[in-house]
Amino acid sequence: MVTFASVSRPLLRDALLYLVAALVLGAAANLVPGRQLAWWGKGLQPPTVGVDFQWIDAFAADALRAALPDTVFVDTRGEEQYRDSRVPGALRLSYTELGNDLTAEVETRLRGAGAVIVYGASQETDVEQLLAQELHRRGLSPPHVLVSGFEAWQASGLEVEGEAP
Amino acid sequence: MSRPFYRWAYLAVAVVLGAIFVYASAGKLADPRPFVTIIWNYRLLPPGPVNLVAIFLPWLELLVGIGLIVGFKRRAAAAWAAAMLAGFTVALLINAVRGLDVACGCFSTSSEDTHNAWLLVLRDLPMLAAAVWLWLCPPRPADARLAPASPDQA
Repeated sequence: MVTFASVSRPLLRDALLYLVAALVLGAAANLVPGRQLAWWGKGLQPPTVGVDFQWIDAFAADALRAALPDTVFVDTRGEEQYRDSRVPGALRLSYTELGNDLTAEVETRLRGAGAVIVYGASQETDVEQLLAQELHRRGLSPPHVLVSGFEAWQASGLEVEGEAP
Repeated sequence: MSRPFYRWAYLAVAVVLGAIFVYASAGKLADPRPFVTIIWNYRLLPPGPVNLVAIFLPWLELLVGIGLIVGFKRRAAAAWAAAMLAGFTVALLINAVRGLDVACGCFSTSSEDTHNAWLLVLRDLPMLAAAVWLWLCPPRPADARLAPASPDQA
């Protein structure tokens, strides 16, 4: 049972010490370039269609690829799924590993692309929208997000490549 | 329970729980951005304070973990551990009731790493019990001459 004695003044003082130390270290770390976050939720609005990304369906994406050969597809699925089967020429970028995956070379390629189309596995596109938002935040034109992901691409009978297409 | 055994058991639980906290903080400290997404996906906080949680919570986890391991203000560290675990458990419980299987952000910052929220609640409960025990039931000093002046300094 939590009694007054168990929450005594020295304990509160020690607990406060931990809190202050965490605040100081957290604030200092958040000043380090490259890992900074806005202090108060700025830029944390959910990705917005028409602002951060645009929807595109599988056939329109294929048409865009034909019209603009430098279109880049970005695959957000796991490594194994990507290896097995993917849109021809697609890059793999993990949103949560973007710091490692988005090398200068990849970023240059994305910036030079006629269009960027981000796709995931299926109709759940939360991660793809976030990735598109992040790419837009880094200065790219709002990328396209493929409706229903690679599932729709395959179901439409469009070209794929990989070890087990 | 004999006093030496109790002391060793207390120390072992503190070190294990501390190691868990240090491990849990590592990924979030390396890059807090994905952690923001995870907190956001809990759909419990308004946009404003989400970043503050991502900026400061991993550091508190790290310090509490180190405190539990090395024994610096261990009861205070245990109290923080209990408070954090209670908060995590309530957050998971709310999403479990809502039927949302969220990426918990417990040990990974991958937003694709989702689990059944009820299982995550069950996983948190033993850790919460351990933290509360460490906080409320420290071993009594074996020898008054060697003991710290106050139990709060244990």
